[in-house]
Amino acid sequence: MRLHNLGTVIGFELRRTLAKPMFWLTSLSVPALMLVIFGLMWFSNTSAAASVDAQRDEAVTFTYTDASGIVSPDIAQQMGGTPTSDAEGAARAVQEGRAVLHLDVPADPSVDPVKVVGADRGLIGSGKWAAVARDLLQRSASEKVGDPVVTSVLLNVPTTSELWKDGERSPGVAAAILPGLFLVLLYMGVIMLGQQMLNITVEEKENRVTEMILTTLDPTVLIIGKVLAVLVVGLVQGLVLLIPAGAAALFLPGLLGGGSTPAPMPGPAASGLLAGGMVVDLVRIVLAALLFIGGFLLFTALLVAIGSVMPTAKDAGSAFGVVILGMFLPLYTAAVVINDPSSVAAQFLTWFPLTAPVTALLLNALGVLSLPVAVGVIVVLFATAAVFLWAGVRLFRQGSISYDKRLNITKALRPTRD
Amino acid sequence: MHPRGWVGGFSDPGAGAHPGYLDKRRLLAVFLGVSGVPSEARATMERMTESTPVIEVRDFTMRFGSATVVDGLSFDVHSGETFGLLGANGSGKTTTVRALLGIYTPTAGRLLVHGRPFDPAADYALGYLPEERGLYRKEKVLDVMTYFGQLKGMERSHAAGWSQSYLERVGLADKASTKLTTLSGGQQQKVQLGVTIMNNPSLLILDEPTKGFDPVNRRLLLDLVEEQRAAGATVVIITHQMEEVERLCDRVLLLKDGHAEAYGTVSEVQDAYGTGIVRLHYAGSLPEPRGWRPVTAERNYAELELDEGTDPQAVLRELLDAGVEVRTFDASRLSMEQVFLKVYGHASDEGVAA
Repeated sequence: MRLHNLGTVIGFELRRTLAKPMFWLTSLSVPALMLVIFGLMWFSNTSAAASVDAQRDEAVTFTYTDASGIVSPDIAQQMGGTPTSDAEGAARAVQEGRAVLHLDVPADPSVDPVKVVGADRGLIGSGKWAAVARDLLQRSASEKVGDPVVTSVLLNVPTTSELWKDGERSPGVAAAILPGLFLVLLYMGVIMLGQQMLNITVEEKENRVTEMILTTLDPTVLIIGKVLAVLVVGLVQGLVLLIPAGAAALFLPGLLGGGSTPAPMPGPAASGLLAGGMVVDLVRIVLAALLFIGGFLLFTALLVAIGSVMPTAKDAGSAFGVVILGMFLPLYTAAVVINDPSSVAAQFLTWFPLTAPVTALLLNALGVLSLPVAVGVIVVLFATAAVFLWAGVRLFRQGSISYDKRLNITKALRPTRD
Repeated sequence: MHPRGWVGGFSDPGAGAHPGYLDKRRLLAVFLGVSGVPSEARATMERMTESTPVIEVRDFTMRFGSATVVDGLSFDVHSGETFGLLGANGSGKTTTVRALLGIYTPTAGRLLVHGRPFDPAADYALGYLPEERGLYRKEKVLDVMTYFGQLKGMERSHAAGWSQSYLERVGLADKASTKLTTLSGGQQQKVQLGVTIMNNPSLLILDEPTKGFDPVNRRLLLDLVEEQRAAGATVVIITHQMEEVERLCDRVLLLKDGHAEAYGTVSEVQDAYGTGIVRLHYAGSLPEPRGWRPVTAERNYAELELDEGTDPQAVLRELLDAGVEVRTFDASRLSMEQVFLKVYGHASDEGVAA
């Protein structure tokens, strides 16, 4: 197939989209909103951290009664506590606004709760009263134990984990992050660009422009050119979204969580550890990329074919639901698929072309998609995409001049030459 | 078997002597000498020989399901001529053109442009005005025209410059940066015409060219077609406007139910359906017809269709002898409209667009 006029089509489609102020208005509105939200989050986090620090440093004056004998008077004094024997009087003082906090420690705090009577300082501010009670008892208990290691173990047990499968070290959840990104990309791509893909063929028909166009280029070139242009537009939109997000991550630290630290991976050379705990499993990433490309091509070709059949954008829009169903059905059944990938339902969702992209990407990200199955699914996706694209071009050639009515698919795909 | 009105063969030796023809060798030299002619187009021209028709259709059959829209159609269109593809609605005209331009895949037969199946990548110099027409309505006029110019092989800057000049010529210079959808119907038609004739096409195919056009744009269209024709373009007009056919066409093909009903020069086709017609204003009573028959007979006006061999002078003499007071007497051929009515009768009203 010659690519005559391909560049002209791509250039026109890009210019007509990127030159429109509305495109930039809508595209930039999302990152602008993101920046505002990131800014607010950063400001809130900073304020909250400062507030926590300030609260930690701030000595809280409180009274307490201790029926358990656990509370250390010295520690209580350091924290601003004063013992009292009149629990009711101390509580009344708080109720009448003369004091801010009273803690009533029961005889057995492991069974009965510590009663906290505090001034209302708002939802967040009042939360620290319970923290003071916890801190007082934990520090007093630690003093009684006398061994900081034992105390630390009692309070928190840090762990690192190694997962092994078939005699090999498994990278675990950390390795699911990068392959999983392709699943997110697929959803973003189809949802953001799907309507434009659908309009590729519908627009030509609605504008009654097809016949003139088809005398200057091959319909395959027209469709490929338009698809590529939509992809570039999507890329631009993606960059418009990602650049502010990246800038926010770079200049507003603390927004992206670091995650848990996995155990060091002495494993295969293809794998590596990235900052933030992400593990690079090259095989799974390559498979994810191929599944993503195959899935994206499949949905694109399907949308082009749907657009070729439908007479108007409105009619085509209703058919868009089929694609969306294919994308979200595997999510509804994700638990079944993940828990038992060999079940009939999981097998169907893995191999049926419309549900295969999401299912296979999900299983691949979680490390439960075997290499042969992954390769098989990729072949199915590319083959189905090619069939849809062939049908889309053929239907476009026929359907684009069937201006006011829906195309008869059987007739259009039937060989016509004797 | 040739149709009833078949009056010319594919290798009609007289065809080359038609006034519409230009010297093909000279044309070829001009084409080859023009800088910027794409190599594929140049190759196309080189392949063309003296006898290669611009359009060659052989045994073309088109079926949609069980319906046969065109059946065994054959005809040629030669360089420099204006050819009329005529027929009632549903007779297969548009289907033939769409198959010729590769939009439909023919069921059977051979449809060639410049000696080979139509190839959008090679045959730049085509101006096609389809029956169903439109442009990208949400885009700016100049952008759309430039885009089509580029698709037809023009450089972007050249296409933009040409478009600007055209818009100035048709009084739309101030609309260049306006979206098409905001233009009136007549203004959009002017833009559509401009797109059709961009890059000086050597082959113009106009499907129902004046359909929906207002009188101003109709005149503009005819002027533009005439200019292209004068510059040596081959023009194919698909229409059932018989007045245009008589004014513009050198040769015609009448399609009926997918078959060629008549094929030849306009005068040959007219002759094939009657030697002539007499129009007269009169007073009195017409005598019994002899060698003629009344097509129209009103109180003071009549149109008499003459049988083959009947001399109009003899008819006049006969009328005078019968005491008819003849006020005007005009002997001429059957008009193409009358030929059309003769061929299609009232069936043309029942057809559907093909």
